Amino acid sequence: MSDLLKFDPFSRRQDEELLSELNDLTRHHLAGCAEYARLWPGWRAAESIEDLPFLHVGLFKRLALKTEAAGILHQRTLTSSSTTGTAPSQVVLDDCSSALQSKSVHAIHQAWLGGPARPLLILDETNALRQRGLVSARLAAALSLQPLASETHFILEDVHRPGSVRWELVCEVLNRNPWVMLYGPTWGLWQSWVDQKAPPEAAALLRTKRIDYVHSGGWKKLEEIKVDRRQFDSKLLEKASADSSVIDYYGLSEQVGLLFPLCDQGRRHAPVWSEVIVRDIYTLLPVIGQPGLLQFLNPLAWGAPYHSILTEDLGKRLPGDCPCGRPGRHFELLGRVPRADIRGCANV
Amino acid sequence: MSEFLHYFESSRRLTAVLLPFRLEDMIREWSGLRSVMARTCPKSFTREEWGYLLHFLSEENLIRPFEQSFGRRVKKSKRPVTALLRPRGPVAIWLPNNVSLLGPLTAILMSLGGNALCIKTGSHSHDLTVPFLDFCRARLKKGVLADYLTRQVAADHFDHEDPRNSRMSQEAQLRIAFGSDQAVLAVHALPHPLHSTGVSFSDRQSQAWVEPKALTEAMLVDLIKVFAVYGQAGCTSPQKVILLGGDRRKALALRDALVKVWPKVIRRDPPLDAASENLMVYQWATMMGWEAALAPRQGAVFAVGHFSSPPFQGRMALPIIPATLEEARLRLPPTIQTLGYAVSNPRNSRWLKLLGTTVVKRFVPIARMHHFGPVWDGWDFWREGFENVEVSVGSR
Repeated sequence: MSDLLKFDPFSRRQDEELLSELNDLTRHHLAGCAEYARLWPGWRAAESIEDLPFLHVGLFKRLALKTEAAGILHQRTLTSSSTTGTAPSQVVLDDCSSALQSKSVHAIHQAWLGGPARPLLILDETNALRQRGLVSARLAAALSLQPLASETHFILEDVHRPGSVRWELVCEVLNRNPWVMLYGPTWGLWQSWVDQKAPPEAAALLRTKRIDYVHSGGWKKLEEIKVDRRQFDSKLLEKASADSSVIDYYGLSEQVGLLFPLCDQGRRHAPVWSEVIVRDIYTLLPVIGQPGLLQFLNPLAWGAPYHSILTEDLGKRLPGDCPCGRPGRHFELLGRVPRADIRGCANV
Repeated sequence: MSEFLHYFESSRRLTAVLLPFRLEDMIREWSGLRSVMARTCPKSFTREEWGYLLHFLSEENLIRPFEQSFGRRVKKSKRPVTALLRPRGPVAIWLPNNVSLLGPLTAILMSLGGNALCIKTGSHSHDLTVPFLDFCRARLKKGVLADYLTRQVAADHFDHEDPRNSRMSQEAQLRIAFGSDQAVLAVHALPHPLHSTGVSFSDRQSQAWVEPKALTEAMLVDLIKVFAVYGQAGCTSPQKVILLGGDRRKALALRDALVKVWPKVIRRDPPLDAASENLMVYQWATMMGWEAALAPRQGAVFAVGHFSSPPFQGRMALPIIPATLEEARLRLPPTIQTLGYAVSNPRNSRWLKLLGTTVVKRFVPIARMHHFGPVWDGWDFWREGFENVEVSVGSR
């Protein structure tokens, strides 16, 4: 249902194709989602991607939106890890979108990680798989690497105990393989891998193996302990062989199927089947070269209207091509919109 | 410590109030801070908060609790004194967790009674009480107020499990607790002296009741001003506007008028997170069937609906509901505190009859919704800072 998926994810794009797909998708959601239709009455096809309607990301913490249509079979609900004190986002998944999203993620991983199939170690516990009907965004991110994996292992005994790494299992896998992928949430990777001392034999073994560290989830907690990206990467890399790598993905549970990898120039790259717009927070006009709210669009969301989302993250879209050499859309991620204290006497 | 008698006369009685200072000195020194305050605004405060405090410290406002409670201040009277009021003893104040002016305002009011104050500020966010007291202590010249604030007032922040809560309660003759129902209950469950008094200011909400014929631009300005200070986070902010006798068309006209007037009244942009939230709330309300509109630059959300419309929430979102007076009365929440009004004849006795059958605690013009005073939320709490001695000076 998206012709764009046949292209190299990080190549140049003709905007007309994406606009046409997004206009079709908007029509589909207007017809199948009553709440969405209430917000955009009398909508007419947009003439540019920037004119397409969007939903604020916070709505997914308040509403379980669904688009009903022939051929759409809703399945599980994806839940985000919630920021302190807020409800988690809920994104209702469907079979049609899931297929597209899997293709998208696989293509992004292929472009960024590539290589032969190799073991995938996931910094999570096996129990993470046992929630019927629900799937956490963290687990979904980890499992999205499975198509590149020859085997998959959950290497924590207990996700609430960062020191509970199953070293025997890790060593067993490493003994059989020279090259592995290790996925963890950014903070989890620091807590369980960097901040923990591996047993001597495991540490020695690790230093001889190539590890592709893949992480996502944000820097807030690391900033609190004054760890920057350079420190984070070097601490990870010093534990493995010299040809190892660290890949930082940014993604949202409300943009399932999309990952925005960080290049060595500190910029995030958007695949060709997505668009990134930065909007001034007060006027909502698109801006380039100035900070604003990030909006993401993609043609992969058929079961609910999460195809065009205005986030609460700040970013900056930069003109021209990225110095890293990859063509296509790229942006700088600047972090969450800062939260001001609640003033007043009432409990809100 | 010296003690001074002050006399207040009402039509029926002469009351003597014993204070550990001359009241005129205390009031003059509080009020004298205003000229210093007018030149600066500490970074903990918004300009509106600082402006309100400055206004609150006027001499007329500071004498008001005495006059409201005991009558007109007099030097002499031919009448015999029939009541002597003396400070009850230490006062403990538990403040809410949000950033709020309630701390500074309560501290100012209670200081006039001369009791020692022990204040627990909110533990989850920045606080205004300690910065305000520090500001005062740093700028006051030697005098009764500086002496009082230094020796008699302590403010600190700690959490609800801290043993200092218990100590505060055990030492206080008057406990004033602001916060959630649960927090206030917990305060009053602490060990306390047998004859001490507890005052509870727990979860409350307020509404604005307006009649279409009272919808002047001045009323819209008042409504925006009282709402914009704290939005839904203020217990005296309008949580809803009830358009009495109005219909959907008139409610939409009110909504649009508020959107139009908003930028004339509120000239600053909202914080980034509030602007983003307002956009989300606008979309949420619309998706729930409300007829919502955003104020310019995402300043606030105004939405027209019915009592039965599905709920939505936002710190800066104001629902507008057309209703009959009877509907409005029946739909009052049990936690209602203030009704701010813009009605054609507030003196009509029907309002008193209506108030008598509800749990409303205050009925004031919209512009006065936030005005804090010695009677609050149905409690004559300021007077509780005094102990009443009956005096009869007859021969038998």
